[in-house]
Amino acid sequence: MLAVVVASAGVGATPDLSTVADPGDPRAEYDGRFAFTRIRYGAAVDLAGGRFRREPTWAHDFPRAEFNFQKILSELTFVPTMINQGNIRTLDDPELAKFPIAYMSEPGFWTMTDAELAGLSNYLRKGGFIIFDDFRGDHIYNLVSQMRRVYPEGSFQKLDATHPIFHSFFEIKDLDPRSGYYARDGDTEWLGIYEDNDTRKRLIAIANNNHDLGELWEFSDTGYMPVDLSNEAYKFGVNYVMYAMTH
Amino acid sequence: MLDALFRFFFELSPVVFSQGEFRFAASTGSYVAAAAVAVAAGLTILAYRRGHGRPGQRVTLAAIRLAILALILVCMFRPLLVVRAAVPQQNFLGVLLDDSRSMQIADVDGQPRAAFVKGEFGATDRGLLKALSERFTVRTFRFSSAATRTTQESDLTFGGSQSRLGAALSGVRQELAGLPVAGLVMVSDGADTADAALGDAILGLKAEGLPVFTIGVGRETLSKDIQVGRVVTPKTALKGTTLMVDVVLSQSGFDGQKVTLDVEDEGTLVSTQQVSLPNAGAPASIPVRFTVNEAGPRVLRFRVSPQPGELVTENNAREALIDVRDRKEKILYFEGEPRHEYKFIRRAIPEGDNIIVTSLIRTADNKYMRQGVDGPDELVAAFPKTREELFAYRSLIIGSVEAALFTGDQLKMIAEFVDRRGGGLLMLGGPRAFAEGGWTGTTVADILPVVMDRNKVQPKGSVMRLSIKPTRAGAATAVTQLGATEQASAERWSTLPIVTAVNRIDAVKPGATVLLMGTDESRAERPMLIFQRYGRGKTFAFLPQDTWNWQMAASIPVEDLTHENYWRQLMRWLVDGVPDQVEPALTTERVEPGEGATLTANIVDPSFVELNDAAVMATITAPDGTISDVPMSWDGEHAGQYQATIPTKAQGWYQAKIDATRAGKSVGSAVTHFRAAPGDAEYFDATMHAGTLRRIADETGGRFYDPSNTSTLADDLRYTGRGVTTVEEHELWHMPIVLLLLVGLLCAEWGYRRVVGLA
Repeated sequence: MLAVVVASAGVGATPDLSTVADPGDPRAEYDGRFAFTRIRYGAAVDLAGGRFRREPTWAHDFPRAEFNFQKILSELTFVPTMINQGNIRTLDDPELAKFPIAYMSEPGFWTMTDAELAGLSNYLRKGGFIIFDDFRGDHIYNLVSQMRRVYPEGSFQKLDATHPIFHSFFEIKDLDPRSGYYARDGDTEWLGIYEDNDTRKRLIAIANNNHDLGELWEFSDTGYMPVDLSNEAYKFGVNYVMYAMTH
Repeated sequence: MLDALFRFFFELSPVVFSQGEFRFAASTGSYVAAAAVAVAAGLTILAYRRGHGRPGQRVTLAAIRLAILALILVCMFRPLLVVRAAVPQQNFLGVLLDDSRSMQIADVDGQPRAAFVKGEFGATDRGLLKALSERFTVRTFRFSSAATRTTQESDLTFGGSQSRLGAALSGVRQELAGLPVAGLVMVSDGADTADAALGDAILGLKAEGLPVFTIGVGRETLSKDIQVGRVVTPKTALKGTTLMVDVVLSQSGFDGQKVTLDVEDEGTLVSTQQVSLPNAGAPASIPVRFTVNEAGPRVLRFRVSPQPGELVTENNAREALIDVRDRKEKILYFEGEPRHEYKFIRRAIPEGDNIIVTSLIRTADNKYMRQGVDGPDELVAAFPKTREELFAYRSLIIGSVEAALFTGDQLKMIAEFVDRRGGGLLMLGGPRAFAEGGWTGTTVADILPVVMDRNKVQPKGSVMRLSIKPTRAGAATAVTQLGATEQASAERWSTLPIVTAVNRIDAVKPGATVLLMGTDESRAERPMLIFQRYGRGKTFAFLPQDTWNWQMAASIPVEDLTHENYWRQLMRWLVDGVPDQVEPALTTERVEPGEGATLTANIVDPSFVELNDAAVMATITAPDGTISDVPMSWDGEHAGQYQATIPTKAQGWYQAKIDATRAGKSVGSAVTHFRAAPGDAEYFDATMHAGTLRRIADETGGRFYDPSNTSTLADDLRYTGRGVTTVEEHELWHMPIVLLLLVGLLCAEWGYRRVVGLA
């Protein structure tokens, strides 16, 4: 089913960037619907030396990744979703609280001010949920280090396929460590932080180590990526949102 | 005073006049005198037809003269008052003395009310009892809950916990039946604590023609007193429920004074607040907020500290029994689309809470997720399709889901869930809820507290942004309390972040109450939380779609529990009072030790149809641990209602476990509690109730006295016309009033002549 949807809603449906006044800083106005919220942060260092990158790390895959994902989510589920609408927020933005599900790209380069630290800490403790995506290799160390500052009572734990997040909409029965976008840099892992570090409680954060769902969403309508990989990426994304909406 | 004046002018007591019969003892001379008076009258008329003075003056003088002649004529006919008087010592007299605790109130010149009783009725050689004993054979009874014979002063203890005037009068009437009884004398403060009406006892007395002479002891108002007049609490509550209870305070002598109103749960202080007392004679209702955290039968005590100079301090506290249930209450939450509100509502109810939210959320077309289910079969086929399945829940929350998703029978089931099963229904705002979700015209629309109009819906994609605050009704309701005090709650509401709504509701049903009101960006007010009772249950409409802002907003501290508390309170209200298949009830939470408690139970099948053929047994555990079985039988009048009277002996708690079976299968069971303990009703409304005592006297043909005018009582009792009597004739022509009238008329004639110049 998903493949068909990708074909109809993703492939061939080029995101309409004209709806975004400033693709660098679009902000959705909250109206009760789910808005894909991308976290903007100040990178500590540009490991690529600024020679090859056209956008900051936090904006990687923006806006096509979220625009495609929004359409898939809207087509497949009953989640009321804003379509073709970017929503970029900093962690210290009070308006972030209106969007309890957040997405961060390339957390290997993530740094925080004290205000951002407090913002994310409060956000997660009150009931927010964050997805970390698009990182590989030793980038995990920065993520772990930053999250230790945000949520010192919790730590990333490896999730297996029995976790409810992998069954909240699609049944993801296997987590293949070689299936990740950056499998060449290491085994793909799905890492989570539990509320109060208690595995019986909800996840407050999930991290796709050595994977890049956003990249697969971004190019799902171009034919550059295998359909199977794109489908799997959408399954994870939909499940994450569904889990965060219900747990 | 009036009595003495009456006797001065008429020579006899008013009672003699009321009991006696007027007659004329005319003789031959009377008729001769009549002829003479007629002639005199004729001459008077002739004389005044012409003569001096104007016509009006002559008419007045003729009228006075004729009145004098008429009075003389009446006297010449010898008017008599014929009355049957009791033969001394041939008749019995029942004297009922109030032996209840309220007689100890010292409101008569610093003396207790009992002092009058002891002084006048303590011994046959003094006071009123002596005067009565000289004329009657007196039978003395003391009464509180029932009347018993008393022969000596020491029998009077003034310790009775009740005053049942009707029962005492009926008891004495029956005990003296067959004897020549002149009447009954009741000495009391008139405070009747019986549940049964006094009217039945009075009817019995009237049928027998037995007059009751009542003496009211005590003052009709207490100079200084504070009373906790009324406290209305639910009979049952779920553990952890925050209750908002109205305590009615009244006072005299303490206008505007600040006092402390405490609530104790089995001795533990659970609420305290400073309140200003209302003006005398104007009871004030004080809302009190507290949480019941301990399970079991709990006696809650609402108390105002005694103030200096108070005559009665026992009425400063009132007790209420609440059966606090520590059990799981399941609420079915059906959500039509994944949204943050769903998650945060679920999060508001922590694991281990007495409320279990079993939820069914539609994630996609024909795809559902279940959470909080008991087993793999629960809700496996999505929303319940049978009454048995739906009625197993105690309340139902319908989220953003369109009406078209339900079959006609499912919509009918939802209406019956409220109306017949007695469940609570809450519809949440959302794009698919209310009129926007096509609910107008459905059977569910009939039971909701709001008026929906399919022509007045919120335009798709537009939202209202609203700040919420409680209405006056909401401020007095536990569910909207966000602070420890009313003021703290109001402040909290004023600082909460705005929410959005996508459903337009312009009107509520006539019987509905708006508890929360929202103010939108154009300053227009819109109902947000609306409540009404429907059939056996209740329905709510809650319009905001994102109360999770009260949790997530940056202005809300992480540790703030406003959102959680709001939903926990709302959920508890939703399940509050929802009946079980076996639903016990007691006519009163307390009985006097030794009395029977009337226990009733309503028995229904899983689809809540009343059962009249169930076998119902109440297992009673007495305070000493002894267990007894009392069968309950259908009362023959009300469908599904079973009844039994539970005898009590010892003082303390009694537990009644009711088990109902049908065709060998269990229908259900329930536990309730009551206690056998002396009541304190004696001290409430503890003034002398002259109205009650006057009513007893007036309706039975007796008379009401206060302690200062009882000197004629013994004589008055002679003329009740009952028992062994002789006929007495009292000449009336020589009453002072006749002479005074005659002299007065003569003076009037003379005086008038002087005034108009005809003398």
